[in-house]
Amino acid sequence: MDYEMWAEKYRPHSLDEMVNQTEIVERLKSFVEAKNVPHCIFAGPPGTGKTTAALCLAHDLYGSGYREHLMELNASDERGINVVRETVKTFARTRTVGEIPFKLLILDEADNMTGDAQQALRRTMERFTETARFILIANYSGKIIEPIQSRCAPFRFTSLSRENTINWLLTICQKEKVEVLEDGMEAILEISEGDLRRVTNTLQAAASMGKPIDAEAVYSVVGRANPTDVRRMIALALKGDFLGARERLREMILKYGVAGSDIIRQIHLEVFRLEIPEKWKIKLMETIGETDFRLVQGADEEVQLSALLAKLTEAGSSIRRGD
Amino acid sequence: MGNREALQTLKDWINSWDKGVPRKRAAFLYGPPGVGKTLSVEALANDMNLELVEKNASDYRTAEAVKDFAGRASQYSTLFGGKRLILLDEMDGITGTADQGGVRAITEIVKSTQCPIVLVANDVYDPRFSTLRGYCLLVEFKKPAPYEVMRHLKRICVREGIEAEEKALRFIVEKNGGDVRSSVNDLQALAQGRDKLTHQDVAWLASRDRKEIIFDVLRSIFYSKSCLEAKRAVDAAEVDPDMLFEWIYENAPHQLRDPHDLVEAMDSLALADLYRGRVQSTQNWALLRYVLDFMTAGVMTSRERTRPEWIPFRFPERIRMLSGTKWERGMQSAIGMKIGRKCHVSSRVAVKGVLPYLRIIFENNPEMAAGLAKWLDLDEAMIEYLTGVQQ
Repeated sequence: MDYEMWAEKYRPHSLDEMVNQTEIVERLKSFVEAKNVPHCIFAGPPGTGKTTAALCLAHDLYGSGYREHLMELNASDERGINVVRETVKTFARTRTVGEIPFKLLILDEADNMTGDAQQALRRTMERFTETARFILIANYSGKIIEPIQSRCAPFRFTSLSRENTINWLLTICQKEKVEVLEDGMEAILEISEGDLRRVTNTLQAAASMGKPIDAEAVYSVVGRANPTDVRRMIALALKGDFLGARERLREMILKYGVAGSDIIRQIHLEVFRLEIPEKWKIKLMETIGETDFRLVQGADEEVQLSALLAKLTEAGSSIRRGD
Repeated sequence: MGNREALQTLKDWINSWDKGVPRKRAAFLYGPPGVGKTLSVEALANDMNLELVEKNASDYRTAEAVKDFAGRASQYSTLFGGKRLILLDEMDGITGTADQGGVRAITEIVKSTQCPIVLVANDVYDPRFSTLRGYCLLVEFKKPAPYEVMRHLKRICVREGIEAEEKALRFIVEKNGGDVRSSVNDLQALAQGRDKLTHQDVAWLASRDRKEIIFDVLRSIFYSKSCLEAKRAVDAAEVDPDMLFEWIYENAPHQLRDPHDLVEAMDSLALADLYRGRVQSTQNWALLRYVLDFMTAGVMTSRERTRPEWIPFRFPERIRMLSGTKWERGMQSAIGMKIGRKCHVSSRVAVKGVLPYLRIIFENNPEMAAGLAKWLDLDEAMIEYLTGVQQ
């Protein structure tokens, strides 16, 4: 039997198949109809269909041979000015044969490009507008320099609704003949945050265990970015064992490659479940929010998160003293 | 290399013995370790065809021992009528009361010697040598300039057929702060049996040897009372800020145990890190000063409730783990590339967002794993890694 990652297997191929972002999809369809596409920025959280929308657009625009008219670059893998200059230029310079006179260039994770690279990109975009259109994909459009933003049509992708996510999951379950129990579904929704890639990967990993999927299976999958691990880490910090907590954190990040953003997301969830005075939960939230923001800005994950653990340690000792 | 003047002085002084015993019967060579003091004497003796009688620290234990060898050697000429040169090396090695007589005995011999004596030590102004010093011609050996050491190392590389990166050599030279001997030793240790030397090959030396300097800086950060003092210690030490950050970050929770102090210290470090990111993203290096301020003075002022007590410093665990997991991270990013090719994500996103799930599948479901391995075009080592690791 052939296997793929389900997130790929069930990735929509045409704009018509997309289950969400209806407004965006409508606008993109009008581009297809007009056979013209401006430069675009697709911004939004992970797993909301940005890359999919770009690929679908290309498919609908050029037909099944769309790969020939399309170049997909990932700024994280191919960063730097030279790559942008050379690869992009070579691709953008040549005219395509066919009905549509321009090629499509998808630049994923564009918010990871350095300022200099973006400047170079801006010039390239300008020079080759006739022969190439750019779709920049980013989590945060704020990290794209102003001159590029002003040349692009902005599209803001939003997290998937609960309903959309459930429908999506049920479709896959049916096709893959997988059974998800009710608490399993709830658990997936809880950790999903509207991120369809995460949801699909979680489902597939849980299904690989070969049993109907319950909450326990889901949590053990999220395992490697495990709520119990985060819970354990928080418990250690609150108890006053900062060093123990930092040790856990370090292990998660360095050994298991858990993303800082996943850890902070789970800390955020866990704090509300803690048995500590309510006012402390809000006090902590301020620090958690600030830490989250700093991680987004690209700060050192372990350093920032351990500063947060120090706050938890202090909170623990204040609470014990009855403050 | 370097120290041309010192060599000339020494040579002139030895030559002056031809015209009768000079006023100063001994020459005292001093200077930092590894700048070629002993080597110069040996080379001169060779060039000038002198018989060299060489002794070092272990021979100076007692006055008797000194008299025994140096006394005799200094009073009689050589068998064949040639000239003789006595070299007393490692004078710093004379320690403790038992050796007191040793220095005195040497002084006596210097007063009456019939052939030139050369004494060698790092610190001629050590009080133990105060009397002896008066009878000696003082010759200072200085640290050679870095470029001179560089030239020397390059010459060795050419002779040994080693192709070395300029950067690698510069690193060795800087690390050893003008000590030629240890520079050459490092070069030999690192380049032995290979024909190439890159910066990467040598960079790991950094953390090992700078430990003492780092400890000094840490002491002033965790125990000093004023911001300026803490900042100055860092300026003076010229340690790499990133490396220093790791040391402070590792040690802060051990040194500042009170939760209140801990929060302050970790906050300062987080701020330092934030500015470090700003330096990176704006390439405005002027901002580096705030990084330094927060990680030194910021951490220093955090001590309010933790009483100062001596707690030994620890090596940054994170650095150890990072180098320990280097292979693993290499493997992860290789798999990440494979995933990226299929799943329209960067290898970075793949490592964090897909690989963990893949791992679970590989542990639980061999059939699905095999299918995915084929689909992703993973090689044997990658499959092994995904199935085996982290039990």
